[in-house]
Amino acid sequence: MNGYGGHILRVDLTTGKFTKTPTPENLAREYIGGRGFGAYFLFNEVPQGADPLGPENKLIGSNGPFSGLLIPGAGKCDFTCKSPLTGGYASASLGGLFTAEIKYAGLDSIILEGASAQPVYLVIDDDHIALRDASALWGKGAITVEKILKDELGEEFQIACIGPAAENGVLYAHINHDFGRQAGRGGVGAVMGAKKIKAIAIRGTKSIPVANLDAYRQAAMNLYKACKDSEGLKPWQNLGTTMVVSWCDEIGALPTRNFAAGSFEEGKSLYGPVIREQIVITDKGCFGCPSPCGKYSRLKRYGTLVEGPEYETIGMTGSNLGIADAQDVAQINFLCDEWGIDTISAGGAIAWAMECYEKNILTRDETDGLDLKFGNVEAVFALIEKIAKREGNLGALLALGTKRAAQKIGKGSDQFAIQVKGMEQSAYATHNATAMLLAYMTADVGAHHNRAWAITYDLQVGRELVSADKVARVIWLQHVRPMFDMLGACRLQWVELNLDLDLYIPALEAITGIKRSWKDLELVSERIWNLTRLYWAREQKDFGRVWDMPSPRFYTEPPKTGTTAGQITKLDDVNRMLDLYYDQRGWDANGLPKPETLERLGL
Amino acid sequence: MSAQLKPLGILKSYVGGQTQVSVEANQTVREIMRALNIPSDLVALVMVNDQPQSKEYRAQDGDVITLIAVVGGG
Repeated sequence: MNGYGGHILRVDLTTGKFTKTPTPENLAREYIGGRGFGAYFLFNEVPQGADPLGPENKLIGSNGPFSGLLIPGAGKCDFTCKSPLTGGYASASLGGLFTAEIKYAGLDSIILEGASAQPVYLVIDDDHIALRDASALWGKGAITVEKILKDELGEEFQIACIGPAAENGVLYAHINHDFGRQAGRGGVGAVMGAKKIKAIAIRGTKSIPVANLDAYRQAAMNLYKACKDSEGLKPWQNLGTTMVVSWCDEIGALPTRNFAAGSFEEGKSLYGPVIREQIVITDKGCFGCPSPCGKYSRLKRYGTLVEGPEYETIGMTGSNLGIADAQDVAQINFLCDEWGIDTISAGGAIAWAMECYEKNILTRDETDGLDLKFGNVEAVFALIEKIAKREGNLGALLALGTKRAAQKIGKGSDQFAIQVKGMEQSAYATHNATAMLLAYMTADVGAHHNRAWAITYDLQVGRELVSADKVARVIWLQHVRPMFDMLGACRLQWVELNLDLDLYIPALEAITGIKRSWKDLELVSERIWNLTRLYWAREQKDFGRVWDMPSPRFYTEPPKTGTTAGQITKLDDVNRMLDLYYDQRGWDANGLPKPETLERLGL
Repeated sequence: MSAQLKPLGILKSYVGGQTQVSVEANQTVREIMRALNIPSDLVALVMVNDQPQSKEYRAQDGDVITLIAVVGGG
């Protein structure tokens, strides 16, 4: 099948059996690949009510038709499962070099099923597939394990692996790859850990069929030329996502002390050019990337090397914890990577605990002796290890994520648990940015920015404005941006280098032989958006509007300092946005798809 | 005493679609943007002669000032 590896590999970890079946053509046509495949398999194969950390859950790693081909940033694959953090749909995107090898091994999805009794790692070398004993790797850090396996198997193998946090069932444990790239959100690593699979190592050497080689070459070169000619390439390559730290600080979107404010009085110490000058030693890109945003850093104070910190980590573990030193933040980044936890959720959970401590909701006894004031970097270092080991009262509590931790502690701490659907909100403060707030409220995995990054639109049309047009913009973004996670390519060339979306269309047709417009692709995306909504409704009995509500902080507590001081979104506007959103999506007043909507989408 | 201002992406629309405009030096980038009605909130980064600078940088004769728009986030 043109553009595809051609097979789905199932690994039954309970029995140790492997099954390879041809990728169904109708699946490729209707769900494209990547996150589309993941959503399809999750909905159809993981039984209702499955324990996310039990053998019934499946971890589905999928690439798309662009993966591994000559398309800018075609190094993205998707990991889907039932989320242990949220109890709903999890989909985490992974960059680097892993997805290309999946494709070159002749595969489109790797589905991990069941659970092994003993620690194992999976080796895929084209058609040779084996599970090997991972006892000697169990307990080791994710970055450490990747190096061990590279040394053992050879540099050409690409590794996706977990750290101790995933082994210990931390609900926001991640999957690491390429020494600092992660499938970070929703606890996909914890699912891998529960299955006792420490790593997947893969190498492929097969060729990929494309429908029209000349047209593919031409379309690909047009895409790369557009990247090369982009005026934004040079600054983007220089700073990557750290470019927006100063901007977020200026407009009041930089999360500060558990999102109490959106501007950080010491923020300048974390601005992109400062990070670049103080610690970055080289750029680092994913497969096929002409605009590498990854920055590799050396931390002389700590004697460590780390990929990062990128914007999200700076926001969530820097300003959000009251920490203003580039090396300190980068070392937090390193510890999270090695222990194997998502920096966004870790930053959110620790910030919540710090606020609890400063408000005397958590005593020093309850923090296991840690002086958990904002800005205490040594306490953060110690707490990351405790979380990863689920050690002591606080480590065990925060390993559950902010929502559950607040439910356990009570005393009003849920009012400042900054999460939606159980997922910690990523690093954009939304006290007065209604489109971005709606994007967080309605993202299909929880409060993550990758589905719709609408804050620029807020600034263009008015931050407080609530309008049908604004809601439509969020929905459009929720259809277009995740399409890149189905195609198996990075969206950042489009969004940061301002590439014309239409440049991707001839490439997709040349590769797959199927002519599609963006309208066609948006319809596929809408179908999958509704499918994931149905999945949530199936797994959570009370699922509906209440699950879309943001943290009360954003409609009850205006910041006292910074650009957005005194500004807040009204609760009436929160509800009005949801009404407009549900109406435009064809959902009922409780946020569930109407029968006619499902019929229109073929669900 | 003049500098060249290059607004990228959506910022071009605030200077009539031009890719480069001549501006008086000896004023800050923020003042230049204000005079041209370019919203500061939409400018992610200021580069002067290919080096990042703050919006408080005071333009000098012959500077090339590039304004990079916030586009799409991570």
